[in-house]
Amino acid sequence: MITYILRRTATAVIVVIGVMLAIFAALHLVYPSPARAVLGLKATPQAVAAFNHTHGYDRPLWHQFLTYINQTVHLNFGESLKQNQSVGQLFKENAGRSALLSGVALVIAVLIAVPLGIAQAVKRNSIFDYTATGVSFFLYSWPIFFVCLVLIAVFSLKLNWLPFEASQATSVFGVVRDAKSMILPVSALVIVSVAAFSRYMRSSALDNLAQDYIKVARAKGLSERSVLFRHLTRNSSLPIITLVGLSLPDLLAGNLIVESVFNYQGLGLLFFTALGNEDYPILLAYTLVGAILVVIGNLVADIALTLADPRIRLI
Amino acid sequence: MAGEPILEIRNLRTEIELTSTVVHAVDGVDLYLNPGETLGVVGESGCGKSMTGLSIMRLLPPGGRVVGGEINFAGRNLIELGDDELRRIRGNDIAMVFQDSLTALNPTMTIGRQVAEPLRLHRHMAKAQAMARAVEVLDLVGIPRPTERLDDYPHQLSGGLRQRVLIAMALACEPKVLIADEPTTALDVTIQAQILELLDRLKAELGMAVMLITHDMGVVAGRADRINVMYAGKIVETSGTRELFEHMHHPYTQALLASIPQLDQDTSTRLFSIPGIPPDLADPPPGCRFAPRCRLATDHCRSNEPPLSGVTPGHLAACWYPVDGPLERPPAELPSQAIAANGSRPVLLEITDAVREFPVGNPLLPFLSPGSVKAVSGVSLVVREGETYGLVGESGCGKTTLGRMIVALEKPDGGKLRLKDTDIATLRGGRLRRTRRDLQMMFQDPYASLDPRMRVGNILSEPLVVQGIGDRRSRNARVAELLNEVGLPPNSVDRFPHEFSGGQRQRIGLARALILNPAVIVADEPVSALDVSIRSQVLNLMKRLQAEHNLTYIVISHDLAVVKYLSDRIGVMYLGRLVESGSGDDIYNRPAHPYTAGLVATIPIPDPSLERGKQIAAVRGELPSSINPPSGCRFRTRCPRAQQKCADEVPALRPFGPAHLAACHFPLQEPA
Amino acid sequence: MTSIGPVDPTQAAAPLATEAELLAEHDAGQVYEQGSSWRLAWQTFRENYFAVIGVILVIFFVLFSFVGPYLYHSNQLTGSIADANLGPGKGHPLGLDQNGFDELGRIMKGGQTALEIGFAAAALASVIGTLVGAIAGLAGGLVDALLMRIVDVGLAIPTLFIILVLAVRYNGTITAFVLIIGINSWFVPARLVRGEVLSLRTRDFVQASRSMGATQWRLMWRHLIPNALGTVIVNVTFQIADAVLFLSTVGYLGFGLNPPYVDWGDQLSDGVTNLLNGYWWEIYPVGGCLILLVLAFNFIGDGLRDALDVRLRRR
Repeated sequence: MITYILRRTATAVIVVIGVMLAIFAALHLVYPSPARAVLGLKATPQAVAAFNHTHGYDRPLWHQFLTYINQTVHLNFGESLKQNQSVGQLFKENAGRSALLSGVALVIAVLIAVPLGIAQAVKRNSIFDYTATGVSFFLYSWPIFFVCLVLIAVFSLKLNWLPFEASQATSVFGVVRDAKSMILPVSALVIVSVAAFSRYMRSSALDNLAQDYIKVARAKGLSERSVLFRHLTRNSSLPIITLVGLSLPDLLAGNLIVESVFNYQGLGLLFFTALGNEDYPILLAYTLVGAILVVIGNLVADIALTLADPRIRLI
Repeated sequence: MAGEPILEIRNLRTEIELTSTVVHAVDGVDLYLNPGETLGVVGESGCGKSMTGLSIMRLLPPGGRVVGGEINFAGRNLIELGDDELRRIRGNDIAMVFQDSLTALNPTMTIGRQVAEPLRLHRHMAKAQAMARAVEVLDLVGIPRPTERLDDYPHQLSGGLRQRVLIAMALACEPKVLIADEPTTALDVTIQAQILELLDRLKAELGMAVMLITHDMGVVAGRADRINVMYAGKIVETSGTRELFEHMHHPYTQALLASIPQLDQDTSTRLFSIPGIPPDLADPPPGCRFAPRCRLATDHCRSNEPPLSGVTPGHLAACWYPVDGPLERPPAELPSQAIAANGSRPVLLEITDAVREFPVGNPLLPFLSPGSVKAVSGVSLVVREGETYGLVGESGCGKTTLGRMIVALEKPDGGKLRLKDTDIATLRGGRLRRTRRDLQMMFQDPYASLDPRMRVGNILSEPLVVQGIGDRRSRNARVAELLNEVGLPPNSVDRFPHEFSGGQRQRIGLARALILNPAVIVADEPVSALDVSIRSQVLNLMKRLQAEHNLTYIVISHDLAVVKYLSDRIGVMYLGRLVESGSGDDIYNRPAHPYTAGLVATIPIPDPSLERGKQIAAVRGELPSSINPPSGCRFRTRCPRAQQKCADEVPALRPFGPAHLAACHFPLQEPA
Repeated sequence: MTSIGPVDPTQAAAPLATEAELLAEHDAGQVYEQGSSWRLAWQTFRENYFAVIGVILVIFFVLFSFVGPYLYHSNQLTGSIADANLGPGKGHPLGLDQNGFDELGRIMKGGQTALEIGFAAAALASVIGTLVGAIAGLAGGLVDALLMRIVDVGLAIPTLFIILVLAVRYNGTITAFVLIIGINSWFVPARLVRGEVLSLRTRDFVQASRSMGATQWRLMWRHLIPNALGTVIVNVTFQIADAVLFLSTVGYLGFGLNPPYVDWGDQLSDGVTNLLNGYWWEIYPVGGCLILLVLAFNFIGDGLRDALDVRLRRR
């Protein structure tokens, strides 16, 4: 198992370096030097060249890339063009709130999707299964911003139960205390994730139900309940670990939309604002952080799976 | 047999509902099982034998249900019981063992917990008590050091040990009836013999009744007290084992037995074969279901269904024109071949010290790799023109890899493979392509070996196209000629592979191998995926075509009877090495290597008198790892004659007669 | 019954072998026509109501978007600002938007860009993905490892982020969006095709073709690609759905197509404001069309997957 984890980690490191290369290339392509942004559009070519020289933007590309890696490793993502702060500082301020929103949504989504998918598989081809499949299929086709709009239209404007703006508290603790205003943003994320997860769970559970060991468990005289809880649940839930890892990009994207619709102060809203300002250091730094999160998420998922699934442990 | 039957089935009817049709999988089956006896239920795939077993347990697949009849067990009709009551019987009074031990065990639960589960459920044992009993049961089924194994997961055990765990699980509550559904089909013969022996011993020790469901006549011949033969959802004959083999009354039983190649069979005779294929159970024919394929059928058979009847209550057959006793073997009508044992024929293929190893693990990170699988380790053999060379051995012995090396699908890591004057191993590019004309292969799985997107005409002409032989018209003519030779209708060229049955597909595979007029055809398990009655058709066809076209075959199979029937000479492989080679008689009657002797002894023979007279299987234990094979003689870890020398020195092939070689330090006979 | 059967067995003795038995090896029996596997798949597909509904919906949207404007004329070049946000009524069945454009006509125009970009971007992604996947699977070794690390990198970077950054940087033309979405979506099909090629390569029919001397080129075009095509086709439909969703999300965030092009997401970008003002006709018709179109492609994809799967199961 140690060799497996080593191998898997080595691959992850290679992928992270690849991600940095890709984003460095993108950065260089769309935004080779911040000189004009810092010095203003009227700066003389000499001033630009001098700026580039002092900040190293005239060095060979590989040298700039190494510098970029070095800075990234030290969590130095450069300065925001418009917000007068370092990107790292901005991330630090906003990360907690985003993590709270996404984390809570992810946990709730998994807690709903796993039993729902298993129940659908066990009662397959029943009215319940058809309804659940139909609904999740339908919701799966919704753009998340439209989910947000409809939630607001129904629960804020029509029923007047919940606010249409998320909590504006600055601390994570403040957000937790203002839970009511977080119901809609979290729900929007949960709805789209459940739609994807439960379909996957259903097919995973169906695959496992067709296996002989389920038949053997029944042949032992176990009740359907025991077959379900002792044998089916664990085996068919294992793949969801991988799926959660793989769905992180979607979660980050969903987070971006939800934060901008509900005006929630997090990394997504920061990114959205930066889009309007063409604030490339923030945009590419967040893309990089997102990608690294995804790689780490997948790595953690794979390692978790080796711990949870004895079949992989010995490889 | 003493007293009342413990299990009695009357007029059982089971249906399986598919999307558009209803399959009458079991259609009016009557059977009974006496305490302490073994009842064999035999038949070909789709005959309803497994569905009968699953109906008893109420474990039918989705869409399946029992629609009529009675299943009486201990004075109660199981069909009328509620689910909860039936559950109290399942696993407690009636237990079941399945075929595939890998999927039949929960992969994420330790075997200790899985074996203890029925005990905690039915015997209400505490955890520690159940575990203690699990150790006892695992010990009973012959698992070495059971206490240490409790925390193992299924994938950590070999196939044979897993099957034992499966049996342990079924036996934990000491059931009165054990239903064993193909319990050894997925196993190698040496392991199969061990498991069958175990079932026999446990039956005697625990006094259970066993219902042994299998397709293998040899398995029931040795183990069953009585046999029910099923065909197309019905029992066609029921009788005591010896009586069935010696005085069968149903033509199906008779034909089935006659179509199995026997080890002592004269290889120049044709096998009997049953024409046609079994009926579609969604729409079974009226009257006797075997009538369309029966040699004796009349119009009466085709419109009236025969009841199970007979003179003695112990022997019944469902036939209007019953027979008595086995079919006489058809006369030798195959042109008898001059056996090449004297070496008169020219050498076609000469393999010297062939080696093939497969690295394990990631090729980019070699330092983390555990080594390589030693698939073939220094095999040398000679194949002469026009002969059939058979390669036998259990899974993992390297026979398939060797076959693939011969047709240049696998490059050897060492050694020479000479075809006439060229070394195949060193060929590349155009010369290799050209040489491939002489080397063709017939594959095992008739479903996987034909491209599902291509029409049969294109599949058959592909070799000609690839080799740039002929124009469109001549290719079409050649395809038509070959279709005719293998007995397929001319309109087959426009059909797709999925429109053919398994046997028909295997004929297409043979035709494709033949179309280039190759010097050698390597047939890898050519009939293993086919039912017995279809199998003999393909075997006869292979023999006839060989005689007509002077073909050279290399037949690879785990089935010694098939290999012996087809081959002039046989090589026995074990863990990457050739341990013995010789004529069929040498191998079967005068084996020099203890492994060959063990293999021959463990193969179930469809003849009760031979099967029961057999001494207990000679090959013990499990196959060692092919990544770190034993030093010296690789068989020594399982050999009763092994000594220190076997571990120190690799035995060389020594002659034991004309063309009879064996690699053993302490052979069963003196070398010549 | 006293005798063994109705007829004395000794009298029923048949010849040693009947003609049929002698012919058994010469005659393999009849073959019944079922049609090609594509046709079987099509039959299964046709029986799937949802898939048929999907096809009908797609046809409807194509006609609605491209033929509709010829039947229903509306001025989409200059909005009548005076009538901005006018509700549905005579001459304007779906009212006017905030710039005074006729909603129904605008939805038609938005449908055009959604379909054009959806199809083109999915085609681009599938072609790149299929080629890369096939090359990686066939070549194996270092080439495979290298290409797959690139795919890993691509999968790690959240697609929406990189699409947004590029959309901000480059002009919002149809071609730009086809390229931006297409170039960032080929990673999934590449991985799918590679997996398919790897498993097909070991299949006996490919081995048979190799053993008769077929070139890699022939293997690829005659065996591997035709057999992997099913996977690709299923994936294309999901790619279209994803591309339509990406386009609408980018548009919703305000970085969509530049005028005179119209996209549905852009039409929804003032969603919350419009909800507060009660201008429902500016939200639900567009959102409904968007969801129905995505749903249609998901239905088709699911139906195709089942249909192609059934062929394999039926053997």
